[in-house]
Amino acid sequence: MALGACGPADAPEQGERVIYRHSMDGVPGSLDPARASSVYNKFLAVNLFDTLYRYRYLARPYALAPNLALELPQVSEDGLVYTIRLKKGVRFVDDPAFPGGIGREVTAQDFIYSIQRHFDPGTLAEGAWLWQGRIVGLDDWKAAGSDYAQTVPGLRALDNHTVRVELTAPFPQFTHTLAQGYAAIVPREAVDHYGKGFSNQPVGSGPFTLASIDSARAVLLRNPNYHGDAFALDAEGFDPKRHDGLGLQQLSGRRPPFVDEVIIEFITEDASRWNALVSGDAHLIKVPAGQFDQVLEKRQPLTLKPEFTERFRYDASLESGFVYTNFNMADERIGYHPDPEQDVRNRALRCAMVKAFDWGRRNASFYSGIGRIFPGIITPGVPEFDAEANHEYVRHDLEGAKRLLARFGWNATNLPVLEYGFPASVTERQMFEQFRGFMVELGFPPERVQPLTFASFADYYRAYSNREVMLITSSWTMDYPDAENTMQLFFGLNQSPGSNSSNYSNPRFDELYRSSATLAPSEARTEMFREMNQQVIEDCASITGISRTLLFMWDRDLVMVPDRSFVGGFYLRFVDFDRAAEDQQ
Amino acid sequence: MNRDPAFSRPHGPRSLMRGLFRTGAGISGFVIISGFALLAMATAAGAIGSEWWQTSAGAWQGPGAEHWFGTNRLGQDIFARAVYSTQTAFEVGILVTIASTLLGATLGGLAGWYSPGWLDESILWLKGVLDSIPFYLLIAAIAYAMQGSPWAMHLGMTAAFWTGTARLVRGEVIRLKEREFVAAARAIGLPGPLIIFRHVLPNTFNILLVQATLVFVAAIKTEVILSFLGIGTRDGISWGVMLAESSQEVLAGRFGNFLAASGFLFVLLMGFNLLSDAMQDELDIRGQTA
Amino acid sequence: MRSGAYIFRKLVSAFALLIGVTFISFLLMVWFGPDLTYQSLGKNPTADQISEVRRQLGYDRPFMERYGAFLGQLATLDLGHSDSTGEPVSRLMARTLPVSLALVLPGFLIGNLLGILLGLWSAWQRGSMTDRFIMGASVAGMSLSFLVIIILLQVLLCTPWGLNLFPARGWSVDGLSAYLYYATVPTLSLVLITLGYNTRFYRSVMVEELNREHIRTALAYGKRTRAILFTHVLKNSLAPILTRLLFSIPIIVISGSLLLESYFGIPGIGKVTYDAITNGDQPVLKAVVSLTAVLFVLVQLAVDLAYRWVDPRVGPS
Repeated sequence: MALGACGPADAPEQGERVIYRHSMDGVPGSLDPARASSVYNKFLAVNLFDTLYRYRYLARPYALAPNLALELPQVSEDGLVYTIRLKKGVRFVDDPAFPGGIGREVTAQDFIYSIQRHFDPGTLAEGAWLWQGRIVGLDDWKAAGSDYAQTVPGLRALDNHTVRVELTAPFPQFTHTLAQGYAAIVPREAVDHYGKGFSNQPVGSGPFTLASIDSARAVLLRNPNYHGDAFALDAEGFDPKRHDGLGLQQLSGRRPPFVDEVIIEFITEDASRWNALVSGDAHLIKVPAGQFDQVLEKRQPLTLKPEFTERFRYDASLESGFVYTNFNMADERIGYHPDPEQDVRNRALRCAMVKAFDWGRRNASFYSGIGRIFPGIITPGVPEFDAEANHEYVRHDLEGAKRLLARFGWNATNLPVLEYGFPASVTERQMFEQFRGFMVELGFPPERVQPLTFASFADYYRAYSNREVMLITSSWTMDYPDAENTMQLFFGLNQSPGSNSSNYSNPRFDELYRSSATLAPSEARTEMFREMNQQVIEDCASITGISRTLLFMWDRDLVMVPDRSFVGGFYLRFVDFDRAAEDQQ
Repeated sequence: MNRDPAFSRPHGPRSLMRGLFRTGAGISGFVIISGFALLAMATAAGAIGSEWWQTSAGAWQGPGAEHWFGTNRLGQDIFARAVYSTQTAFEVGILVTIASTLLGATLGGLAGWYSPGWLDESILWLKGVLDSIPFYLLIAAIAYAMQGSPWAMHLGMTAAFWTGTARLVRGEVIRLKEREFVAAARAIGLPGPLIIFRHVLPNTFNILLVQATLVFVAAIKTEVILSFLGIGTRDGISWGVMLAESSQEVLAGRFGNFLAASGFLFVLLMGFNLLSDAMQDELDIRGQTA
Repeated sequence: MRSGAYIFRKLVSAFALLIGVTFISFLLMVWFGPDLTYQSLGKNPTADQISEVRRQLGYDRPFMERYGAFLGQLATLDLGHSDSTGEPVSRLMARTLPVSLALVLPGFLIGNLLGILLGLWSAWQRGSMTDRFIMGASVAGMSLSFLVIIILLQVLLCTPWGLNLFPARGWSVDGLSAYLYYATVPTLSLVLITLGYNTRFYRSVMVEELNREHIRTALAYGKRTRAILFTHVLKNSLAPILTRLLFSIPIIVISGSLLLESYFGIPGIGKVTYDAITNGDQPVLKAVVSLTAVLFVLVQLAVDLAYRWVDPRVGPS
């Protein structure tokens, strides 16, 4: 299997090196799990390092599975104490950072260190928010100076392979947080040895090791000492209805990872990614929305054109997250206003704008018509989603919108100037222009709909975290498959600079949020979430929302079920070429 | 070298025009530029292309009677957008040209007059510093430093372009310093700056004119690339933004944006280059290009 | 000694230049530049976390302290690690600089070589149809935007809409054939974009030479054409040619490569630097800016020396 091969992949022959060519539509920055915030960083982090838990490869809805842990945690009656047993004999890779250059065994203390790092300012870690105020003694440890010689009462190693975590309050999603890239286990020796360079010099115990990385590609090599258990179809959630014919059966009983080498190309430009697939430079791509017309025969149900099904398999799945446009409720021109009459008028304006926003056209122009539109903030991917919900909130109703404006005394002379913020990019600018079109249809003079561009996303993030942006369009990727993750987007205490970029503040909503926070998933909790959702809808705090459908295409000679959601990078270890087909040749 | 204006015919604006109209290149250049300038003014007045932001038509329509270049992803008329971009191009070109010419002439004049001396050395130092920072990096840095003000692009370009003008003007002033009329002005006791700005600089008018055309071209071309990088035109539409959109679209087989923007851009730039050529030939001057 | 004083003055002005470049760069890219704070924050940051990160990244230190640290690190060549990826900056530069050079040099050399040849031919035939055609084509070339050329070539050569002979992006160069495979389209773009300017410049230089008395005399005596061209015209044009070539180098390597690398996905120093500016990755910026400043100063020095060697009449003013 030569590098740079052009043309369709062939199943490898005996003795040949098996190389899988993956592609990503972005470039990872740091490989340090403490900075695994972007989906690209995370993809690499979970393949180079180990988390205690991961998600089952094939199970949908998504389900947790043990990774470095032996089994799911033992949780005490009150939900405060988690006892987790680690596998024995798992080793870090050999590296000069260790004495003698030999990688040592992964212990419970390593896990504790990896979590504690997030509360050490020197790490510049990004995952602290997951455990902030939730683990006994951890915040105090930080306040006392983050001294690693001090132990944290809530993070104890009962022995070398058993961890005991004590929470301040029940946290039903805690195990999910241990499947995040942030919770991957790093050896202290390597962090001390490499310092800032650790972001580029990963030393982990994951299924792959890093051979090289630059701004164009990364090369991963199979870790021959990986601890992965033999592949079992049932354990991974195999469903004959959905997974038949994919060749997954041949993976049974074998120990991952299955390929010798993975080359990950970072291809941000949509069309180049498509070319890479067609020419064989990449075995898998996320198909750019602009290419859907060329590739899809039908949209309902989603079918590929025959000339492509010959060479490729495909899978369309909903993202775990959504895209929305928030109103900055802290901005008196459009949000909360101290004068109750004006406050009501502002609400009418927001609701009119929501009605005037044509989700159908947005879906057609930018998501090829296959995005999933839904009202509110409970996304289609979670169990709490109500498929029967009233879609009035996302229905395009221009007449109703105009009537609303007229009724509350808004007209072309007193409408505020809308400032729509976005980071500079072609697509974002086009989305703005379409938004302006919608607002003009509503009755805004075109010069009252202004773009507020920012040179980079970080700049944009800074601006809206400082409440400087009136209309904030962004997307939210869920951290765990639980609607609580999107509810907290409108919780009053999470206002800017927190994730509540809308600066929404509703006492009833906040009360419900607090009550539901410690509840495990249940009907009662779902009812509360739905009521909270209704609150956001009635206040017209956000134009929401759409979940994008991601389309993957990959070479037919490969056996895999790609996922960009919670399974994410965890599926890389299960990718293999179809050796059964090759045997038949 | 035949660069000393003293050895060519003295050119006032009228004789310059007559000279330009002698060549085919000069005429075509002038006609093209005037045409575009009129177009720019017409769009500024709202007579043409005012519907460039309209998203009412269907997406991706091919060229036809209603939309000469078809429509784009949002159903906007590509031709209207290309026409409106003329205004953006002229705005960028004129602002940058005037600013960099004024700045370059002033600093170049001062440097040349007070050469050799500390003022000259300082201005030369400043030029050297700005020249040694890679062009796009300088502009990108200014754009980010100005936190996304709509004038960041213009300021950045001015900061980069004035050095070329200054270099030329400084050379001319040094040469002109030795001339009789300057000695005479000094003899009657006129102050230095007055001599520079009232008597010496006006003699560099031809050089400045040639350089201005080159800077205009450079400004428009730079805007295109800056818009592609995302730090160019912020509000409104420009050929650079259209080309940035087209860079992805062409690989999916949609050429409308590309053809319209590159077509308009090419013709306007040709016009300027032809005119600039004719001027350089006529005045026997060479400007400073990139 | 006049030479000694001359060299001393040159060194002083070179040093002043370096100080100036580093100061302006510091001002623009560090003091006023974007900061990494919001990229280093996770979701749901608290105001405390924000100020913590800012303190860690050193953003709340006073101006002189930060500038002093900046200069100190430059002087000791302590390049540090990239703030975005953690890669040691020295390794980053060692990795990306050769790529940019390999990407840009062929186009640069070919563009200038062709420019010289076409300029010479055009100057020799000045006034003829050939000359007018070449000049016309040059003006057309100057009127094309770099971006337009790149997009056009990519469509014509790398996609099914055209010839589809070359890759639309990438740089897996492990041998000569791979190098040709990946470098051809970018090189072609660079040549096309610079050819117009080069041809016109070289033509005007050659024309001036050809107008000189001694050339006209030689022609009148009927010496062989080629001998005249090569021995006299080229040699005397050497000064402006060298100047142009040398001055273009730093610009071409960093600015010229930026667009090509962004567009064709090539991991070179132009793209890395641009990303560093947009991300506020200061260690990388420090290194690149100092490198270009040093290069520029060296080029200035080289040009001065070249002038003195080529035309001994030119001395210190």
